[in-house]
Amino acid sequence: MSRALIDNPFFVLGLATDASRIEVEREAQKLLGMLELAFPGSERYATPLGPQPRTAESVRAAVAALRDPYQRLVAELWARHAPAAAAEPPVREVAEPPRVGLRRALGWRS
Amino acid sequence: MADTPLYVGIDLGTTNSAAAVFDGERVSVVRNAQGASVTPSVVRLDKQGRVTVGTRARRFLEQDPTNTAAEFKRLMGTGKPIDFPAAAAARTPEQLSAEVLKALRQDITDQLNVTIERAVISVPALFELPQSAATSEAARLAGFARVELLQEPIASALAAGWRADGDGAGTWLVFDLGGGTFDASLLETRDGLLRVVGHDGDNFLGGRDFDWAITEYLASRLAVVPRRNNPEHAGALRALRLAAEDAKIELSRGDKAQVTLAQPLTIDGREVEVDLELERATVEHLCLPLVDRALDVCVRLMTTHGLAAGQLARLVLVGGPTVMPMVRNRVAARLEAGIAEGHDPMTLVAQGAALYAATAGLDGRAASVAVPVGRQVWLQYPAVSADLTPHVVGKFVGADPPAKVKLVRSDGAWSSTEATVGPDGTWLTSVTLLPRRACTFQIEARGASGELVVVSPPQLTIVQGLTIGDPPLSRTLGVALASGHVQTYLERGAPLPARRTFTHHTVETVAKGSSESVLRIPIVQGELSQAHLCRLVGTLDIGGDAVLDTVPTGTAVEVTIELDRGGRLAARALVPSIGQVFEHVAHLLVPDASPEALDASLRDLRRQLMELRTDAFRHGLGQVIEKLDRIESRLSEAERDIDAAHGGDADAAQRARRALLDVDATMTEADLARKWPELDEQARHAAIAASSTVGMYGTEAERTLLQDVMTAMDKARRDKDAAELERQMRLAQRLSNAAFNRTPEAWEWYFEDAASEVSKCRDLPRAQRLVTEGKAAIDRGDNGELRRVVKALWQLLPENSDARKKGFDSGVR
Repeated sequence: MSRALIDNPFFVLGLATDASRIEVEREAQKLLGMLELAFPGSERYATPLGPQPRTAESVRAAVAALRDPYQRLVAELWARHAPAAAAEPPVREVAEPPRVGLRRALGWRS
Repeated sequence: MADTPLYVGIDLGTTNSAAAVFDGERVSVVRNAQGASVTPSVVRLDKQGRVTVGTRARRFLEQDPTNTAAEFKRLMGTGKPIDFPAAAAARTPEQLSAEVLKALRQDITDQLNVTIERAVISVPALFELPQSAATSEAARLAGFARVELLQEPIASALAAGWRADGDGAGTWLVFDLGGGTFDASLLETRDGLLRVVGHDGDNFLGGRDFDWAITEYLASRLAVVPRRNNPEHAGALRALRLAAEDAKIELSRGDKAQVTLAQPLTIDGREVEVDLELERATVEHLCLPLVDRALDVCVRLMTTHGLAAGQLARLVLVGGPTVMPMVRNRVAARLEAGIAEGHDPMTLVAQGAALYAATAGLDGRAASVAVPVGRQVWLQYPAVSADLTPHVVGKFVGADPPAKVKLVRSDGAWSSTEATVGPDGTWLTSVTLLPRRACTFQIEARGASGELVVVSPPQLTIVQGLTIGDPPLSRTLGVALASGHVQTYLERGAPLPARRTFTHHTVETVAKGSSESVLRIPIVQGELSQAHLCRLVGTLDIGGDAVLDTVPTGTAVEVTIELDRGGRLAARALVPSIGQVFEHVAHLLVPDASPEALDASLRDLRRQLMELRTDAFRHGLGQVIEKLDRIESRLSEAERDIDAAHGGDADAAQRARRALLDVDATMTEADLARKWPELDEQARHAAIAASSTVGMYGTEAERTLLQDVMTAMDKARRDKDAAELERQMRLAQRLSNAAFNRTPEAWEWYFEDAASEVSKCRDLPRAQRLVTEGKAAIDRGDNGELRRVVKALWQLLPENSDARKKGFDSGVR
């Protein structure tokens, strides 16, 4: 089930679980643009199981998942419960500072 | 203005075609040389080989039917040429469609004075892969450099949603009754995002059925009655049908129409005068059952999504037949919803395609070869955005980029904050759009000392409006395995384009140089996990005569499946051990439909139906019996089409072929329902196993998910929905496995299980060695090693040959 964490759309897009629909679309569109132009840092994203490679396909799949109400619910669930399920301590070696909202997505109150 | 992009959408219809353009603010329908907004999809080839398209060609349908072709869209992908005796030439359906596309392309050039190279072309929602490929080919022949395909219901939804200013909240139904197919789509718009909630349809219901119903009525009133199964009567029927079509259109306004043919028909050597009066009430009476059939589909779709009549926010009617007042009234009354005004049912699909071209950033204009002036910048931004503040991402090409970038809206009322350009030339900013408008932004770049830098392109345009995002895949796509199961590659609803790679292992040896040994990788489409219940859409073969070296059993094969935005398929198999790639996918042609073959399959299906029915009665399965009754009526309809096919109607033959395929699928489903008790028990076992493993080893999230799955299983059980129960059962098993795999004993258990079957293994000495290694690993407590051993053992275990047959003779697992 680690794929449910690694591929979690919220982690792929670097968004908090309470992101609005518009925020999801906006972030995805930005990331696709950044990937296309090979922005430094855009090709990886942070998850509780360490950084993962980000591709245009994974971004598109993430948006599609979040557009579907049921899939979004499941993704929110996994993202919220992530720390409990993680076998390894969350995010140590990230090339960039964690995205806004990621800490919250991982269950911190801050 | 030469800088404004122009987006082109084309509705390549069965009976009529249309083109529309979108300039960022307004959608306009392109008129043809006759000033009409639709062009009949009719092509004529005269004896000098000259091509006539549209209304002028349609006039010859009656006088010179052998040299005039219509409704060739239904033959797309069959590769069957149509003869034009006068010109002593033959044309494939693709070539004929290309002529229609060429005519539309010329109309755009005439009207707007631009050459068009890129466009979006709409295709029916359930077009098969070869048909889509044929449509792309037609566009290429018509001189388009690039086209994207879009499903018709999505196009009409987009066009209908685009006009809905805010008050479009809630669920909509698009009722699309075309020439030959009926589509119903439920959709919702929220925050400017359009979502297709669900889709259903009837591939064998359309305006032509209306025409035939009227034609047959007219024929029955003639002195000598022409029959559809007699090739000699084809001409008379064709003339009657054209007259019926005209009368139908006339009766959309008046109460009575006179059906008079200038020349008497010759039937069985007798001259028959045609001078009949047709009343609106008669036509309505003839067409009513057909409209009700379409409405049944709508109700079914709404029920699936928990909607009752009266709960729709709005209805959008699309397609020629929906112009009839009777259709409009009937639909509005039964679904208890208002019909959205201001949509032209004949051109809505083309308009939607044009809007989609903007979303896809597919500017139709021929690429200009203007030399870029100034510093080149690569830009990434949405051509159409629902969001009022989208991001713009850019990168300057080359070393020493400018230091700052600012975007200034052309109305001068807004400009962005200055974005700092990174050392690699990248920058990011966001812009503010005006609602429902096309906004152009000037790019203002400044160097380190504040001097202006000229950039190319100097500006960018973003349209604010409804977007649909990536088109969703309509049916799940996967690879059939030797076990008879399907490895899902792309799930239904996956956004296109998409690509996925999985590693499989061969189950037999492909000997180098042997033309007989071929390893098949069948690609299937469908929602069920058993391969034989899915549709085979293509195969990828690794042949002995093509491999550079013998590929032994158990070799890894990396299979990649790719679909583009239009749903076109490409697949590739990489065999790393010999470093060879196989990418020729044998696309199954839409098979030929000879009347004899159709007769045979009809007989076969009737026999199966009989068996199923006896069985259903014996077990008192009311729901199955109901389903079988529906099949029965479909078969009778198919029989009528087969009759017409005997009379030389190739189109009716294709229609019958698809109807039979459809019946076959429904029958398989009914068969699944028959096995209900067995499935039900399996599902119960899966549920029990899952709740105990997940209860013991599962995470909190897994437990919550299992709860959902259990609820869904209960619902499927109540609804007696076999396919859904099977799907949920698989989910429960997956959750159970995930929880189980987390336990230290999991691999020991798998090992014991595999070791117990070691005598069946292919390479016995190696298998026995593996068992010894596995035991040692357990003693050492080395779980990693144990895992490797188990996986290696699995490779050596054989596949069941029956299962393999059901997996379309797949050579991989």
